[in-house]
Amino acid sequence: MTESPETTRPDASLGLDGVPHTGETMTSDGHLVEPQAGEFRHARSAPKSAQWYKTAVFYEVLVRAFNDFTNDGTGDLRGLADKLDYLQWLGVDCLWLPPFYASPLRDGGYDISDFRAVLPEFGTVEDFVHLLDQAHQRGIRVITDLVLNHTSDAHPWFQESRQHPDGPYGDYYVWADTDEGYPDARIIFVDTEASNWTYDPVRGQFYWHRFFSHQPDLNYENPEVGDAMIDVLRFWLDLGIDGFRLDAVPYLYEEEGTNCENLPRTHEFLKRCRKVVDDEFPDRVLLAEANQWPSDVVAYFGDPNTGGDECHMAFHFPLMPRIFMAVRRESRFPISEILAQTPPIPSGAQWGIFLRNHDELTLEMVTDDERDYMYAEYAKDPRMKANIGIRRRLAPLLDNDANQMELFTALLLSLPGSPVLYYGDEIGMGDNIWLGDRDAVRTPMQWSPDRNAGFSRCDPGRIYLPVIADPVYGYQAVNVEAQLNNSSSLLHWTRRMLQVRREHPAFGLGEFVELGSSNPSVLAYLRHLSADPEHDVVEDLVICVNNLSRFPQPVELNLSEHEGRVPVELTGGVRFPPIGEWPYLLTLPGHGFYWFQLTTDVEEGEAP
Amino acid sequence: MIRPEDLGEGLLTWLVEQRWFRAKARGATTVGTRGATALGHGLQHTMIEVDSDLYQLPLGARRDIPDHLTPAVITRLGDESVYDATQDTELMAHLLTLLADGATVDGLSFRTEPGVTLERDLRARPIGVEQSNTSIVYGARYILKLYRQPDPGPNRDVELHRALRSAGTPHIAAPLGVISEGDLVLGFLQEFLPNAVEGWATATASVRDLLAEGDLHADEVGGDFAGEAHRLGAAVADVHAALATETGTSAASPDEVDAEVDAMHARLDAALSEVPELAARERLLRSAFDAVRELREPLTVQQVHGDLHLGQVLRSNEGWVLIDFEGEPAAPLERRRAPRSPLRDVAAMLRSFDYAAFHLLGGEDTDRQLMARAEEWSDRNRAAFSAGYAEVAGDPTEQDTLLRALELDKAVYEVRYEHHNRPDWLPIPLAAIQRWSMP
Repeated sequence: MTESPETTRPDASLGLDGVPHTGETMTSDGHLVEPQAGEFRHARSAPKSAQWYKTAVFYEVLVRAFNDFTNDGTGDLRGLADKLDYLQWLGVDCLWLPPFYASPLRDGGYDISDFRAVLPEFGTVEDFVHLLDQAHQRGIRVITDLVLNHTSDAHPWFQESRQHPDGPYGDYYVWADTDEGYPDARIIFVDTEASNWTYDPVRGQFYWHRFFSHQPDLNYENPEVGDAMIDVLRFWLDLGIDGFRLDAVPYLYEEEGTNCENLPRTHEFLKRCRKVVDDEFPDRVLLAEANQWPSDVVAYFGDPNTGGDECHMAFHFPLMPRIFMAVRRESRFPISEILAQTPPIPSGAQWGIFLRNHDELTLEMVTDDERDYMYAEYAKDPRMKANIGIRRRLAPLLDNDANQMELFTALLLSLPGSPVLYYGDEIGMGDNIWLGDRDAVRTPMQWSPDRNAGFSRCDPGRIYLPVIADPVYGYQAVNVEAQLNNSSSLLHWTRRMLQVRREHPAFGLGEFVELGSSNPSVLAYLRHLSADPEHDVVEDLVICVNNLSRFPQPVELNLSEHEGRVPVELTGGVRFPPIGEWPYLLTLPGHGFYWFQLTTDVEEGEAP
Repeated sequence: MIRPEDLGEGLLTWLVEQRWFRAKARGATTVGTRGATALGHGLQHTMIEVDSDLYQLPLGARRDIPDHLTPAVITRLGDESVYDATQDTELMAHLLTLLADGATVDGLSFRTEPGVTLERDLRARPIGVEQSNTSIVYGARYILKLYRQPDPGPNRDVELHRALRSAGTPHIAAPLGVISEGDLVLGFLQEFLPNAVEGWATATASVRDLLAEGDLHADEVGGDFAGEAHRLGAAVADVHAALATETGTSAASPDEVDAEVDAMHARLDAALSEVPELAARERLLRSAFDAVRELREPLTVQQVHGDLHLGQVLRSNEGWVLIDFEGEPAAPLERRRAPRSPLRDVAAMLRSFDYAAFHLLGGEDTDRQLMARAEEWSDRNRAAFSAGYAEVAGDPTEQDTLLRALELDKAVYEVRYEHHNRPDWLPIPLAAIQRWSMP
């Protein structure tokens, strides 16, 4: 490696000349000067609402894929801001944006090279503030990913650390003279990495990395690192962001003799982050990305006696493949089992659940029993294997079957947790498996039958990924404009379901009780929010009945506890016969479902 | 106090209509009271002797009968209607209170199992009628089984549940309490599994899925059941291992084996005299039975379930659970209590898989394609069940001589049963026997 003046400039590889960024200048004691929130306009606040995340519908949107304002072929923050009216119309409450920070993009943007700058092709910090401001005006919140565990090796901190071991950043990363430390920590990316240590010829030492070798782990043993990352949180929270999905949280600390995951000091640091949020930024949320079993993930909600003092939310990973398995098996047990195994969570906590997102379940994270179960059920079944291994969109996974898409969405919206929709699934977008695993489901949003699906006015050759153009899922057939004009489209259906969900707090806040029946193909459950007159909470009692089979099914539900109540179907308001002492009989069409509110008003109101 | 003798013809007529009344063919001629105890709240516990058989009959009486109790009315006595109290949710709720109190009323004792504290005031709900008992569910927590014709002496169902509980197997519904009078066990309270489904329903849902497909093999369709069958095999093996640990095993003597084989031949004789279609298979069946006599290794016997089939297993949200350890329904008491080969349970379950596979297909004109699919399902799930069993206890397929004899013996029993009760289903066991005879 040749030492040139260029490589000694810590911000050299950021590509951020002309925009404020970390390391533009340095203080006399060798510290990098970093952009401060005070240097930017702040977004107006979102309407105040405690625990909004418990009833919210999230929408994961890739900035790159949604809308191209600059017409350079790549979606951007301004483009996304221009589509907020659509998202408001659809009825989503919170956008989740995967990382849009400055990055060499060797790991989809999770390799952050400056926490305080935006990737230039997406825009600027000002553009982000504009998006946030416009979203808040429409009652929509925005969260984004933040990687606490590591940085890109292009980050000025790392450049300083490798070049000046004795400087202020010398101890920001985990350096060692040998590659023998922490031998019990598994290697996560076994395909690409041979070791968790990589030799750096500049510093002449090994550095520690749990993920790719171009992503050195931050050294949380150094109290300045924790402070610096808390300041990163504050930077964005000051600008008005509504929260973070904290990426790879289990790995912050290392300790000899352990597997270096989920260590007590990692939890201590998360408690510190939470305290900053609670004290300085109420109403903002932290969502843990711990790709682990629910019984292990609950630790990241923190102390249940305080209602939870670490992350407000965490993803429930195993539920998604279980939903696919249950419908394929026409048996409710894959879902019933995993929910029965899911421990209670603190009063202030909420699961995030999804059918599709850019993350997938991997078998390495599951318990031995579950792995046996998954192998027994999946490994022999090529179709099921494809569901978890390769990244596909919902519609092609379900053979574009409208009934199944509706059933899956109804499950997502009614099972315990806040649902996370994946952009494009509301119109039944397809994927392009020829683009490979990562990009198959990241093609441009299909707005209209116009050029580039209305995503961009650029020369089609310039677009970051080709739009889907096959005869079934292609943009000429599947697009927002066409579905807006057709009130029986999937888009309108999804919107109506989100409206119904919004009217019933039981979906987000209610207790989940499975209602057994003698029919193994029918999954029925109660979502029950008890009345609490002190806090103005009215009772909300909803029953969801799902037929996982393609054949019509009868089901007898024991509802005698609710004798005398009248089930009112939620999408049409039709009153069903009152519940009596004996089992309540329902018949469902293949892949059909019902949502009922159990009302106490026995008399049907007369028309005025 | 209501004296059953005073209920006259009304009671006799009512009794004969009850599913749990055993001597249907003979009918009921005389009724005597063997015991009557007022349990409070208007609930009367009554033991009656009908001809020479003892039955349990909880009674209630009301002047005005609410609609939902009308079907439970036995007869009128004076200005009151006397009815079967098991259908009265209020009176049945009182039984739970007595159990929770650990009450003793006259000779009746209500006892919880050690360490069990019952929740009170749960809503009682009578559920479907069964052959030998009537069950009441409390809330979504407990199920009380009232034995209509209680056996004197230790109750096999209770004893085996206690043994399995002490072994710690997760594959049973926990025993919680017992109602008894002297050495008669009258009622058995157990954990209720509100989200559980009968194995038969889960298996046949899978078969239905396969038969709708037509061009796909059993291992290709979404409704594949092999994973469940494998786990069920492991659960049955776990229960067998627990019973062996808790109640011991012994070796059957050659004489005992001979006696068992003789019994198989006797059952075949009876079936042959009634079902002529079986004659073509007689040689095969007899040689399969006699092969067991030639086995040199000692035959291990122990307590087993005794009446295992897909209707006696429940799929709960935690896994498979075996229920009803009363033993073979029609067998005399000593036979039900005698130790048997655990392969008898295995053979019975394998036969049940065969029933699940073929029961949707009617008689002989069935589509050959569908028959082939059903056979695939049966083979695949029987193999998966055996493999699951082998992972926990001995591999049943290593004792194929015995297993074959036991399965054929069971099929012969089925032939006779279907001939009498469900002639439409007769082709199922006949076809199974025929498949055994193919090279």
